[in-house]
Amino acid sequence: MAVNAGAGRRPHGALEAEILATLAAADGPLSATEVQRALGHELAYNTVQTILIRLLEKDAVQRRVRGRGHVYWVKHEAASEAARRMSATLAGRLDRSAVLQRFAAELDDDDARTLRALLAEPPEAP
Amino acid sequence: MTLAVYLPALLSLLLVAVSRLAVRHALPAVATRSLALAAAGAATAYTCCLGFLALTLLDDVPPLSALDHLPGLPKPVPGPVAVVAAGLLLWGAVRLVRDQRLRRDTTRRLRAAGTPRADGLVVADWAAPHAVAVPGRPGHVLVTTGLLRALDGRERRVVLAHERAHLRHRHDRLVSMAAAAAAVNPVLVPLREAVAYQAERWADEEAAAQVGDRGLVARCVAKAALAASPVLALGGTSVVDRVHALRRPAPRGRWTRLLVPGAVVAGIGVVTLVAAAEFAALAAAWLGAA
Repeated sequence: MAVNAGAGRRPHGALEAEILATLAAADGPLSATEVQRALGHELAYNTVQTILIRLLEKDAVQRRVRGRGHVYWVKHEAASEAARRMSATLAGRLDRSAVLQRFAAELDDDDARTLRALLAEPPEAP
Repeated sequence: MTLAVYLPALLSLLLVAVSRLAVRHALPAVATRSLALAAAGAATAYTCCLGFLALTLLDDVPPLSALDHLPGLPKPVPGPVAVVAAGLLLWGAVRLVRDQRLRRDTTRRLRAAGTPRADGLVVADWAAPHAVAVPGRPGHVLVTTGLLRALDGRERRVVLAHERAHLRHRHDRLVSMAAAAAAVNPVLVPLREAVAYQAERWADEEAAAQVGDRGLVARCVAKAALAASPVLALGGTSVVDRVHALRRPAPRGRWTRLLVPGAVVAGIGVVTLVAAAEFAALAAAWLGAA
């Protein structure tokens, strides 16, 4: 399936991934309302609900009843298997340049200090 | 033997040095592509040049030494030069095979880490903060819970948008091309790093366009980097540069900014063609004589 979104627009798959990421980041199972809040931007409750159901159908998440609704969480087995394989791949290599598309790079002390200072500052004037 | 034989290799190196300055004001998308092309061109010119020198070893073959006076055939270069050239070629070939095999192997293993159930995302339950774009058809994003937990909802969206930009524009191909060039000729290693950096900038800008907030992307890049263990200084400074770039206004794509990178790429292209033609002429002459 080709997912091709222009700037500013989000393909539906992006929402699925975002909601899955939200559930994976949570400490415990989340309800649709809690997911909606954790996303940090306006998304209709119904949309969140629809995507949660779709994730459930795709076997990406599990749910159980809590109170009058459901709570959802990421299936654990697949995530820990992925972790095992990913860490074996990344840790077993001295030459990590083969994995260049990494979001988090390692920093030395100076860089870390600079970044902390930048985070504390207001944005530079244009 | 004139200096002309060495010229393609020397000239391409000069252009490579220039190319990193040339893309300073270019859009990241233009810079990434120009630098990758420059690297590939320079590596080709270098290979042709060395091949040309190495071929002169065959001058000792009687039929060819008889043809030394013909135009298009060089007077033999000193024997040691030809031997060194052959050695460098061989060394480059070994490095190239090793580099590309490592890349392919790493991608294959990361792909085997999990099949996305939700569209394009595999989550790994691991405390180390990582996010990787795993290329393929279609590719997917592999991200750890360690990184997801370090960020808030909007920042998670930035990470996903950033990695998806890598996949959409097949940055792995451009980076792999530059890496192949650097394997053939280690002098091009800085260019490989520059391509990798520009690809990150490109993905940062795409993410910023998608979430509509450059400051958010800047904070997210800084936070993600700080979440990683502060042990090794690998690409650390480049993260600081990326954050600075995001805190400046968005780069604008004026066509005049294409001129300098375009000229550099065209220059390397010409040098490469000249080197390839020289090499082909010599090889043809030798084959004809043999």
